[in-house]
Parts: sequence; structure tokens; C-alpha cells
Amino acid sequence: MTREEIIEQIRAVLAEEFEVDIETIQPDAPLMQTLDLDSLDMVDIVVLIERNFGFVVTGQDFVGIKTFEDFYNMIIDRKMAEK
Amino acid sequence: MKYALVTGASRGIGRAIAVRLAREGYNIIINYRSNDSEAEAALEEVRQAGSDGCLMRCDVSDREALTQHIEEWQASHPGEYIEVLVNNAGIRKDNLLMWMSHEEWRSVLDINLEGFFAATQAVLKDMLVKKNGRIINIVSLSGLKGMPGQTNYSAAKGAIIAATKALAQEVAKKRVTVNAIAPGFIATDLTGDLDEGELKKLIPTGRFGKPEEVAALAAFLASPDAAYITGEVISINGGLYT
Repeated sequence: MTREEIIEQIRAVLAEEFEVDIETIQPDAPLMQTLDLDSLDMVDIVVLIERNFGFVVTGQDFVGIKTFEDFYNMIIDRKMAEK
Repeated sequence: MKYALVTGASRGIGRAIAVRLAREGYNIIINYRSNDSEAEAALEEVRQAGSDGCLMRCDVSDREALTQHIEEWQASHPGEYIEVLVNNAGIRKDNLLMWMSHEEWRSVLDINLEGFFAATQAVLKDMLVKKNGRIINIVSLSGLKGMPGQTNYSAAKGAIIAATKALAQEVAKKRVTVNAIAPGFIATDLTGDLDEGELKKLIPTGRFGKPEEVAALAAFLASPDAAYITGEVISINGGLYT
């Protein structure tokens, strides 16, 4: 998959899981506020990543993630590392 | 199928809770440390109560081993999850603090407190994702009042009471409740070395409690009727301490 394809997959699963308009998921938009998440809701993102991308993330992986761009980069970096 | 994990379930209060939850329709995972024959007997009682279960032999203070056992259970039960966790495993090693060895201090904290952490962390994620769960911590009058000769046990149980209140607030939004039951003197192996004749004079109801009475309270806290009760410590002590 290309980077763009992965990003589109991420946007689609986030929009469906958290019931938001996919157009609100933009690279520089804040992840937590856009999806209306608090820290406990991160468990839903952790499971979503496991199911859709096949790897396990921990709280440590989310340190420094503020925008969707940060989130895309974390997923793509981890996917590359898994290969 | 509904599943409940009861730690320290081969004897005493843990066994009574396992059997009672089996009567309520739960399939029971019986955790125990070493007594195979008692654990087998507990499983047989669970079956006689109309349900089924399995044995999980593991020291709850060994976090890695316990996590591995629970992960293996999860892998062999895809789509299922442990809906009720009863953190019951515990030991006492009473001594005056002045004479207490570090091993007496450490081992009581390890099994009571580390066991709570290890088991709870291993099952919590599934409860949060499913937005349903019950965590019931069996603590003690010692953790509320403090008992001379039990500085280690009182410290461990008091810590679990504080953790119960904190975790309850963390996870309430995900419809997971966390409560503690604080028994007084209950007639089990753990209290077998106590002078029941003398001690029951101190208890307003004039007797030791029965494990089945504690189990009935645990079953209520596990039920849908208790969905709005969380972060509570409920005493069951015959009026000994209120």
C-alpha cells in the first residue's frame, strides 16, 4: 500500500468508528478534539489499530501525537518497522 | 457465554464466590496457586452448581505468568471476554512490625496488591472495549480499620481500597464498575488459627460470617442491578465495625 492509501484507510476507519464526518479528518486537525476523545477512549483506537493494521500499540506510542498527521506518521512508521 | 475469573478460588471465600457466580450462569475460571486437589474440588462444585469452568494454576504475584495465562485463555476463546473479575487471592503473615521480616512484608504485599494489579490490567482492556465489566476486590476490615499484628496485610488491603476508588472513576464511563468487599471475621481456613470463641463476643451478631454470605454480596455486585454502584467499599462484618 502507498502512504496515501494507508492514510485513506485510517481516515475511513476513524470516521466510521467515531461517527464523524470524514472531511473533518484533516492532517493538521487535532486528533483528540476532532474525534471527541478523552484519554480512556484511546483504548478504542488501540483496538482499532490492532484489528485494521495487525500490530499492537501502547500508550507510549501516543506520546507527542497531537494531529492526524502525527497519527498517520506513527501508523506508517510502525507498519514499515513490522516489515 | 458469560465468563468470570476468580483469583484464589480453590478454597474459602474465593471458592464460595466461584460457586455462587456459577449458579448465576457464569462459566468460571478458577485461579489458584498450588493446591490442585482443592481446585479440582472447587471446579466440581462449580459444575454441580449448573455451570462449567476451567482451572488456571498460577501465582497472581507473578505478573508475567498470570498475564500469559490470561492471554492464552483469550486466544483460545476468540470473541469472548472475562466480564467479571474477582480479585480474591490473598495471604496473611501476621507479626508485630517490630519483629516482621522483610519477606513477611513483601510477600503479603506481592500476593494481595501486585496480584490485584496484574489480574486487573490483564482483563481490563476487553471490558473497556466491550463497555461492560465488573471488578470486585475482596479486601478486609483490616484495610479499613487497621489491625495490630497485621501492618503488612492492612497496608495491602488499604492500598487496594484506594485503588478501587481511583480505578472506579477512571473506567466508569465505559460501564465498568469497580467495588470492594470488606469482610470481617469469616469462617474459612484463613481464620482457622483465630480464637473464634473469644472473638465472636466482639461481634454484635455473635458469630463469624459464612463464605456464602460474602459470595451473595459479590453476586449482587456482579449483577446488572448493581450497575450504578462503583467505587464503593461494602463491609460485611456482622456489625463489628461501621
